[in-house]
Amino acid sequence: MALNKEVYKEFEDVVGEENICNDPAIMPAYFSTEFAAVILPGNTAEVQAIVKLCNKHKMQFRPICTGWTGMFPPGIILLDLRRMNRIIEINEKNMYAVVEPYVISSQLQAELMKRGLNFCIKGAGTNCTAMLRGHGHMDQTTSGDDRNHLAIEWITPEGDIVRSGSLGSSDEWFCGDGPGPSLRSILTSAVPPGVTPGVFTKAAVKLYHWSGPSAYPVEGISPHYSLSEIPPNMMARYFSFPSVEKMWQAELKIGESEICFELMGFNISMVAANITTSNEEEEETFNRLNKEVQGPGFFVIVVGDTPADFEYKQRVLEKIVSENDGKSLKAVEDPRIEGILMCQCTRISASIRETFRNGGAFNSIPIMGQRDLTIKWAIGAGKAKEPLIEKGYIVDDGGAFFGWGVEQGHLGKTEIFCKFDPGNPEAKAAVEGWQKEQNRRAFTERYFASTMGPQDEIGPALLNYHLWWQKITEALDPNGVSPSGGSLV
Amino acid sequence: MIGKEKLVKIVGAGNVSYEQKTLDEYSKDISFVNAVRPVCVVKPKNASDVRKIVNLANKTQTPLVPVSSGPPHFRGDTVPGIGGAVIVDLSKMKKIINVDRARRVAMVEPGVTFGELIPAAEKEGIRLNMPLLPRKSKTVIGSILEREPVIMPKYQWDISDPLSCVEVIFGSGDEFRTGQAAGPGTVKEQWAVGGVQKAPYGPGVASWHRLIQGAQGTMGIVTWASMRCEILPSLEEPFVVGSSNLDTLLEMISWLIRLRMVNECFILNNTNLAAIFTKKWPRGYQNLKDSLPAWTLFYTVAGYEYLPEERISSHIKGITEITQRLGVEAVKAAGGVSANEILKAVQQPSGEPYWKLRYKGACEDIFFLTINDKLEGQIGVMNELAEKADYSASEMGVYIQPIVQGTGCHCEFNLFYDPGNPSELNRVRGLSNSAVKSLMAKDAFFSRPYGENANMILNRDAATVAVLDKLKKMFDPNSIMNPGKVCF
Repeated sequence: MALNKEVYKEFEDVVGEENICNDPAIMPAYFSTEFAAVILPGNTAEVQAIVKLCNKHKMQFRPICTGWTGMFPPGIILLDLRRMNRIIEINEKNMYAVVEPYVISSQLQAELMKRGLNFCIKGAGTNCTAMLRGHGHMDQTTSGDDRNHLAIEWITPEGDIVRSGSLGSSDEWFCGDGPGPSLRSILTSAVPPGVTPGVFTKAAVKLYHWSGPSAYPVEGISPHYSLSEIPPNMMARYFSFPSVEKMWQAELKIGESEICFELMGFNISMVAANITTSNEEEEETFNRLNKEVQGPGFFVIVVGDTPADFEYKQRVLEKIVSENDGKSLKAVEDPRIEGILMCQCTRISASIRETFRNGGAFNSIPIMGQRDLTIKWAIGAGKAKEPLIEKGYIVDDGGAFFGWGVEQGHLGKTEIFCKFDPGNPEAKAAVEGWQKEQNRRAFTERYFASTMGPQDEIGPALLNYHLWWQKITEALDPNGVSPSGGSLV
Repeated sequence: MIGKEKLVKIVGAGNVSYEQKTLDEYSKDISFVNAVRPVCVVKPKNASDVRKIVNLANKTQTPLVPVSSGPPHFRGDTVPGIGGAVIVDLSKMKKIINVDRARRVAMVEPGVTFGELIPAAEKEGIRLNMPLLPRKSKTVIGSILEREPVIMPKYQWDISDPLSCVEVIFGSGDEFRTGQAAGPGTVKEQWAVGGVQKAPYGPGVASWHRLIQGAQGTMGIVTWASMRCEILPSLEEPFVVGSSNLDTLLEMISWLIRLRMVNECFILNNTNLAAIFTKKWPRGYQNLKDSLPAWTLFYTVAGYEYLPEERISSHIKGITEITQRLGVEAVKAAGGVSANEILKAVQQPSGEPYWKLRYKGACEDIFFLTINDKLEGQIGVMNELAEKADYSASEMGVYIQPIVQGTGCHCEFNLFYDPGNPSELNRVRGLSNSAVKSLMAKDAFFSRPYGENANMILNRDAATVAVLDKLKKMFDPNSIMNPGKVCF
């Protein structure tokens, strides 16, 4: 499994002895896989040289950015891109930023907010790379999925440098498409079971205007933070509705009216997770808030560009909520809670609380696309959680799902998860059974097909897309050095 | 070569033409590409016909050239690149399949024109994000697949917008549906459960629609497409800002888009504005042009269902802060053209004759993507080249369209000329070639390479071409789809 000395030396010549390791005592710190070596390239040229060497020696490699998770065949070389952590450019006038793979989202966002700008941060959290595609809390106004990429610098599995779009023709980052058909069709990133083979070494991402503060006035001592004041022309609220249909109608109208910076369909369990600091407090808060809400709901952040704009947006929001019999959750009207939620849900430190703290692990079914359709499915998936809650296998969240609007409601994301104790095999099996059954139901009832499932079952139902993708990867990677699979945010 | 009887069997005798007059019409267009006469023209009625034609073409190694819009064509992409080609004219596939207000989406076959879809969408309370004044015969799918810029950049989140999903018969003969339309289930089964074909990404990790857009029919033939639509405003207030200083208008337009305060918005020079709005030719053209500022920025502020007046008023307040800072004024008319007149015009296709043909009978377009910072320099280069070529720069139309929510802009030079005047025609042809080369040297990005200059453009990016070649071999292994176009 380990590299022989001569080959090791070749890689060492590229990155220097301090940036390569094959010590069996150190490598397991990354993931529970037996790597041939871990290599830390510092720039595009070094990545290219390493990929060329991998082809020469027919060795498989896989890059990681910030490494939230990943799947790694044993014996491969891990390219840890942590040294490539530079923000190359923030182009304020043309609304894009160019980043290397290890620029984390909070780092980029902090720089952007100083300039009145913002970008899409993945729901995985603000500590994850700013470069890759994904969905997050702010998708209502910052879009999501693969739609924020502009030009990309890509080392192909054979070690060629491809610079997509305007970058390849005119050395500018503002466009990722053309000349002719767009390589963005295949320059994707982090959605299992496949990722684009090779390594993305730099990417330009779209930026969006930010009318909020350049930095939040945070006060308090960990874990009890709040804002000393609500920033001007900003507001956060949670509204609950008597039915899913009413909630959806309100969400639809809010999108059409373009009044909310963020529309996050938190369930009340997630609100409780976000405003508390311990499991006990969370449980107590959930039980209390659950009595106050009248049904499903969503969290919104309104940001006005001017006082007049803010006032207009507030008034429209009030009208839409009232027309749909929505009710504001009093707890979130408290400026201490409103402020910290506002901060957590724009700086995207919310995800960890929502997913991991209570239970210790979660299994999730996320769906991107048509929000009303996926909500319809999620109602059933939520009901199917109830027996697991009764048996004590999963955390009681009322059988809830969540989701959010994307691009002012044009698209959406819906997700449902079960939080459970990974040390409890019965709970784990029950959750896996629930997940399998709900995916099957989505598939057979034609709601959607989770492409994370078994490819030989799902692929044929989706016009054999998996075979096309396999053909593409084989053509790009004739030596098979860049194996498919893995989620590498 | 596909035998006539086989084509007749597929589409019926009335939909296959070998008439010389018809073939001549498809053998050339207004661009400068070489005339190549096709063997025949076939008009499929549905996706099944298209699939059979593609399969036959694979068996017989027959080149296919898909065409959806009617004449006049301008870019050479529908003129066969090699001999022996069959034109697949999709103009008979004219169904408007679906218009869905709540999901803001429409779905059409390839023969549907803007003039046909606009009223159907409006009836439901939605509208398209249009290109600037497409010709009457231009199809919606043709425009979207060509990645033509749209006039409401605020709603163009991604350069592929407004495209949602497509059904395509690849050159290999395989049928595929992109995005949400892929499945599970047929499109009808998806409708039954409440699904529409809206989400563009997937299936899986790829964004397959991006491979079909910009391909000029070299990957396959699209048999329907769905597209995102926008809500019809309940109130609209259009404005114009005239200036001799383009930089000021570029600064203004970038803030209007950044703050999402405007819907339609673009900049035209006086030549183009006069070419579009002259009512009495030829006398009225010069008079109108003389009355116009060198550059006109047009924009619309809109209100929707809730408190539309307040929305417009708050945006106007915000815009006023910008205009005051820049020392310009937003007004309701520029010279002899009112903002209302512009708004009304740009929400429809061009009247007849097509606006680019009114002045001199023909027009050569040179268009590219760029960023604001480089635009003045590129326009300067173009002006110099025009004068050098003995083409008066003041006679050249210029259209500047911000794209993708302000991350770049489309710049288009419209060289009007008399096609009956060989010397003028040759001057424009020479100018077009030299301009593309010189503008590339000034960082102009020709993302949509057409005609004679396509090779020169693609040669600058050999790495991209190498990957595109690999993809082409998969989706069109016998190279039957529009050979000789893009880099294939």
